[in-house]
Amino acid sequence: MEALLKNVKFSYGDELILDVPEVCFFEGRVTALVGPNGSGKSTLLRLLAGLESPHSGHVLIGRRPSPPAREYVAYAFQEAVFLSGSLHANLDLGLRLRGLPSSERGLRIEEAANACGVDHLLDRPANRLSGGEAQRANLARALSLRAPLTLLDEPLSGFDEEGRRQMLEELPGLLRRFAGTTVLVTHDRNEALHLATDLVLLHRGRIRAAGPKREVFSNPSDPESASFLGYTILQTEDGLVGISPGAFQAGTGDFTVSLEVEEVIDLVDRVEVVGWAAGQRIAVNFPPDSSLPSAGEQVIVSAPTGMVMSFTDPVSKTVDSLSRAPVA
Amino acid sequence: MGAIWEGLVEAVRLIGTGDGELYSIAGRSLLVSGSATALAMLVGVPAGYVLGRARFPARTLILAGVATGMGMPPVVAGLVIWLLFVRSGPFGGLELIYTKQAIIIVQFFIATPLVIAFTAASIQSLPTRLPDLLAVLGAGRLQTLWLLAREARLGLLAAVMAGFGAVVSEVGASMAVGGNLVGDTRVLTTAIVTETSRADTERAIAYGLVLLAIAFAIVTVLTVVQQRSPR
Repeated sequence: MEALLKNVKFSYGDELILDVPEVCFFEGRVTALVGPNGSGKSTLLRLLAGLESPHSGHVLIGRRPSPPAREYVAYAFQEAVFLSGSLHANLDLGLRLRGLPSSERGLRIEEAANACGVDHLLDRPANRLSGGEAQRANLARALSLRAPLTLLDEPLSGFDEEGRRQMLEELPGLLRRFAGTTVLVTHDRNEALHLATDLVLLHRGRIRAAGPKREVFSNPSDPESASFLGYTILQTEDGLVGISPGAFQAGTGDFTVSLEVEEVIDLVDRVEVVGWAAGQRIAVNFPPDSSLPSAGEQVIVSAPTGMVMSFTDPVSKTVDSLSRAPVA
Repeated sequence: MGAIWEGLVEAVRLIGTGDGELYSIAGRSLLVSGSATALAMLVGVPAGYVLGRARFPARTLILAGVATGMGMPPVVAGLVIWLLFVRSGPFGGLELIYTKQAIIIVQFFIATPLVIAFTAASIQSLPTRLPDLLAVLGAGRLQTLWLLAREARLGLLAAVMAGFGAVVSEVGASMAVGGNLVGDTRVLTTAIVTETSRADTERAIAYGLVLLAIAFAIVTVLTVVQQRSPR
């Protein structure tokens, strides 16, 4: 099911929170809404869920105006909230409210709980689950609904490092199995790249870039978007340039800068040299067997031309609509 | 000590033999205080829900007013209602003074602040995201209200207990607006005062025991419902 926002404006009082000329979330795709805190990501998700109404414009879910019919949307909030009672009763509630027969509900609960690894917790009081268990249960509840549009707000928050790593591996498979079109919110670039097929980059309530992730990632429209995507932004004589994450290497090359070394961190398989170049703090990976600089030393680092982009006119590159032809 | 023991024995005999006057007064107490509590729930639960959930400028002031109402001496409430409903008062034409209805009205005003305050506190203690969660799970407006009430049942049943407990045990207000008329507006508390002043210890103790039994039975039922875990 496709979801579309057209000419949507949303404010709290006089403060404009979201201003979206047009964005489409395509059927069957997993779109990550990314951007810094306060950029309007969660508000956009709430608009899609019908929990907020736009002050102007339209939100269309499957070509019908919002609020969506109850069976169209599943939503996992960032904080796992449960009613009193067992986890089974909590998973059952949404299915019951959607009018599913008992046998179908039991099957769906079993499948989603198994897939999310919470089947052994079904008889436990939901409000007494640990942080990681509660997040898995939260996801199981949303996925058990098998809604055409699944909305996930920071699905990997609340996990410890190991749980997060596991969930990052499991989630794409879970979404393929249980979810249709998926929109997820994250402020973590790596999470977004790992989980999503498309990216929508929000900044101060406006869409700065939208499209298939490779396209958005390789063509950031402005320095702020590029910076959020992990690019190193440097001021040069020719203006602002952005260097792709991980592009810098030791030695001379197409785009060369002098780095004043601040610290050298031994990460066993590689050495990270952190320093300052053109007023920016950057980190460059050195091979562990290379001769390493010391703090305070100047070293030459470079990036290939193909991984350096220029921002001569950042404002004109702001993107307000998502291409309707996703790249597979 | 002997008089108290004799009083207790006589009281048990009165209760056991189904003394007509005793059971008539007890029934009236239940009717009056039950009606007042039911009306207080009808008004106080929605008001408490709004005060617990909504944010508006006068909210804190209203909550402070409600808290003040909780501490209001019943006899003062009785005085106010008496002044309003006495024949020369603004509502004197309704001829409600010294009737059961007048006692229900005054007890309603005593119980309502308690019900509002307990309801607001229990609604406020629920996770703020709960109504949103219920909405996205597919609950309609009425289903949401029912599920929220079920989640807040500890506080809501505490509100019933506090409201009923306050009105079934008060004496000053009922005396002021009801007049303690035999066979008409005499309730258990006013009857205890009357029999004590007459030195009829046996009847006073019997009324006291019945009052305690009623309060205990109702609170026990409510506590059982309150503590029962939902499936």
